Amino acid sequence: MHVIRMEHDIFKANDKLAEKNKKNLDKHGTFAVNVMGAIGSGKTTLIEEAIKQLKDKYRIAVIAGDVIAEMDASRFQKLGVPTVPANTGKECHLDAKLVEIALKKLDLEKTDLLFIENVGNLICPVDFNLGEHLKVVVVSVSEGDDIILKHPLIFKTAELAIINKVDIAEAVDANPEKMHKDILSLNPDVPVLLTSKHDWESLEAWIGFIEIELLKAKKAHATEKS
Amino acid sequence: MHEYIIACEIFEQVLATAKAHNASEVRSVTLEIGIFTHVNPDQLNFCFGVLAEGSIAKGAKLRVKMRNPFLECECGYRGQVSELWAEKKEELLSELLEYATAFKCPVCKKQARIVGGRELIIKSIDIEK
Repeated sequence: MHVIRMEHDIFKANDKLAEKNKKNLDKHGTFAVNVMGAIGSGKTTLIEEAIKQLKDKYRIAVIAGDVIAEMDASRFQKLGVPTVPANTGKECHLDAKLVEIALKKLDLEKTDLLFIENVGNLICPVDFNLGEHLKVVVVSVSEGDDIILKHPLIFKTAELAIINKVDIAEAVDANPEKMHKDILSLNPDVPVLLTSKHDWESLEAWIGFIEIELLKAKKAHATEKS
Repeated sequence: MHEYIIACEIFEQVLATAKAHNASEVRSVTLEIGIFTHVNPDQLNFCFGVLAEGSIAKGAKLRVKMRNPFLECECGYRGQVSELWAEKKEELLSELLEYATAFKCPVCKKQARIVGGRELIIKSIDIEK
């Protein structure tokens, strides 16, 4: 019997590819947002609202990840932004390889802001960095107000957490304040937004957050170039 | 299913290494999995077993060791971490490391940060030539 040492880290291989994606995005000054969250949490709607408000000011593109991604992709295409469906087949998450392939189909030189909508799932996307600049987790009150503590790791890695559909909280017996507190107990520094698609001000807070982060990245990019 | 694609990746890597060493059989594969990953060793074992059917890795055992993260402190401490060092909060519902946000360094008692726990390493394989 022979023992062969390998020391091969599977997740590090994905991380390396993610770094490559990030360098590629940075080269073109494209700011990428990875939107994660459960099925039906409102990821697509939140991205749509942001596109509607920002598309006249910035050049936006979308990578729509799903088991069958064409349906969400067509929602984004209707808004007139370049969209690449990234079909994962039977997989429950996007990985850096799928994003690398999708990036090749976009003209990054003409993209300021890229939304990457991950597959609806609070578990698997955590293990796979994509090369994004901002990790957003969307959770809706209809998932139950104990959902956050059941999935600690995704909320620990989030750089923005959104509690969505707060307008129906009472109807589904959920307490958004408890959810907010739970997120902060896991990740004390993460910004948390409470949103509803029927409350324009709350959507403005989400869209404003993205715009500020995008402008910060653009500024950093410009300083680096000069 | 998350474990399936990971098992595929492990299978490919193991087979490539085994072939490069002219193996006639892979007896076992030793893995280390960080506790902060979402990988279930039993499911991984099942998927790997299915994939390995009909290959030189048929029947190979997956030996899995779970791996804890480390604690790192600016005083230079780098070592094991215990949930007992987590700064307790009233609302903290679980003793699991996954829930704790702040840790005290066991040496200087200052706040230390947690690193690692996200690995999935193929450590080694046992082969027959």
